Amino acid sequence: MTLSVSGLSAVRSGRTILHPTSLVIAPGARIGLVGLSGSGKSTLGHALIDDLRAQGRSVAHVPQSPDEALDPLRSMAFHWQEAEHALGLTPGSADQRGLFAALNIEGGDLSKRPWSWSRGMQQRFVIAMALIGTPDLIVLDEPTSALDPVVAAATMDLLDRHLDGRETAMMLITHDLGLAARRVFQLMVMHDGQLVEQAPTDDILLRPQTRAAQALVAHRNWMALPC
Amino acid sequence: MLRVNQVWVKRGAAVALQDISLSLEPGRTLAVVGESGAGKSTLIAAILGLLRPSHGEITWAGAPVRACRPALVMQEPRSAFNPVLSLRRSVMEPIVASGGTIPADRLCHLCDGLELPPDILDRRPTEVSIGQAQRVGILRALVASAPLVLFDEPLSALDAVTQKHTARLISDLQCEEGFAALIVTHDLGYAAAHGDEIAVLKSGRIEEIATPEQFVLTPKPGYCEQLRDAALALGALEAAA
Repeated sequence: MTLSVSGLSAVRSGRTILHPTSLVIAPGARIGLVGLSGSGKSTLGHALIDDLRAQGRSVAHVPQSPDEALDPLRSMAFHWQEAEHALGLTPGSADQRGLFAALNIEGGDLSKRPWSWSRGMQQRFVIAMALIGTPDLIVLDEPTSALDPVVAAATMDLLDRHLDGRETAMMLITHDLGLAARRVFQLMVMHDGQLVEQAPTDDILLRPQTRAAQALVAHRNWMALPC
Repeated sequence: MLRVNQVWVKRGAAVALQDISLSLEPGRTLAVVGESGAGKSTLIAAILGLLRPSHGEITWAGAPVRACRPALVMQEPRSAFNPVLSLRRSVMEPIVASGGTIPADRLCHLCDGLELPPDILDRRPTEVSIGQAQRVGILRALVASAPLVLFDEPLSALDAVTQKHTARLISDLQCEEGFAALIVTHDLGYAAAHGDEIAVLKSGRIEEIATPEQFVLTPKPGYCEQLRDAALALGALEAAA
């Protein structure tokens, strides 16, 4: 089902950090929300999640830091049960074993609290929770920033495989256009709290229209620079 | 020249570094990559003399490394600074401690290059963004004109555009001043673009020391090849592929 939001905005300390923004997201869409630090990407992501959930849509969220997703006083098992409960699943019915094996966290002790797990394992645990069900949308905010390159690549491949053929849409929030360009079919470019450009990925890579998109395209890749 | 010769480092009962040998000439850059826990930051601590090798030796120009007053960019930008001091005091501390002074125009030039606002040094670490704190950490390391600069994930808090600008500034300054740079990073694109050589660490051992061309085109089979493939899958090496 197509997801639609309109007039999303945010003001902090009297300053508008997200100007009124409307989005339409098709089922199964793969969208990259890209921009520089402070451009409003995460703010739009949060506003989008809140609005869709208020509409009764199911949205899974992988925040930038696992600290935002995990209660330090609760065990990992508690978090998993909460995620199943939120999706209306019978406790223990999710494919925990398969997801943990795919994300290489099967050695983690679920009776422990988050801080007993490494940061990279915490992040992969949060990603596993997001993949339990079949939400309308998964929002991933810099999902691989806490991961080693080999694990990060494997995690993104797992996401691709998991979402392949499903109606779940995916929004990847990142400053790294090089990563987004490999993973999404459509890009949305943020600058100063505004969505300044959106187009198919190849169009933006070949013909960026705005200065914000041009800067991201020019700097998307280390090896492309004459060093 | 930095020379790390057959160094072993233990942390408790665990062996953190095993038989590490490498060298780094003035004006050159060695990028150190590898998974978390591979021993990258331990290597920096050993070079700085904060961890004593159980075997082997580490020297700069034949003397203990600390004698050359190496500079360090720490991994965690905010905790790298004293929270109750202004950033200016923290930046000046190593210079003042060694009885030196910094020409005002050098400080301004570096602030400009790092895209830091002029008044930032009068703020405390909690009053700046994490990306700004990371760049002030780089400023502190570069301003002292140390012959050896150790960078521990120096660009991790910066966006893609600022990363490239900052890396370019470091390289340009290195060309002018000739310091040796050892850069620990998870970012294989950064390592390949700015390293003269790349050392791949795994489980405390060096898997391979290669030029960027060797690393990208003909990595050693096994872990090094996995790393190269991961960089391609993540878009970090797209243009070279």
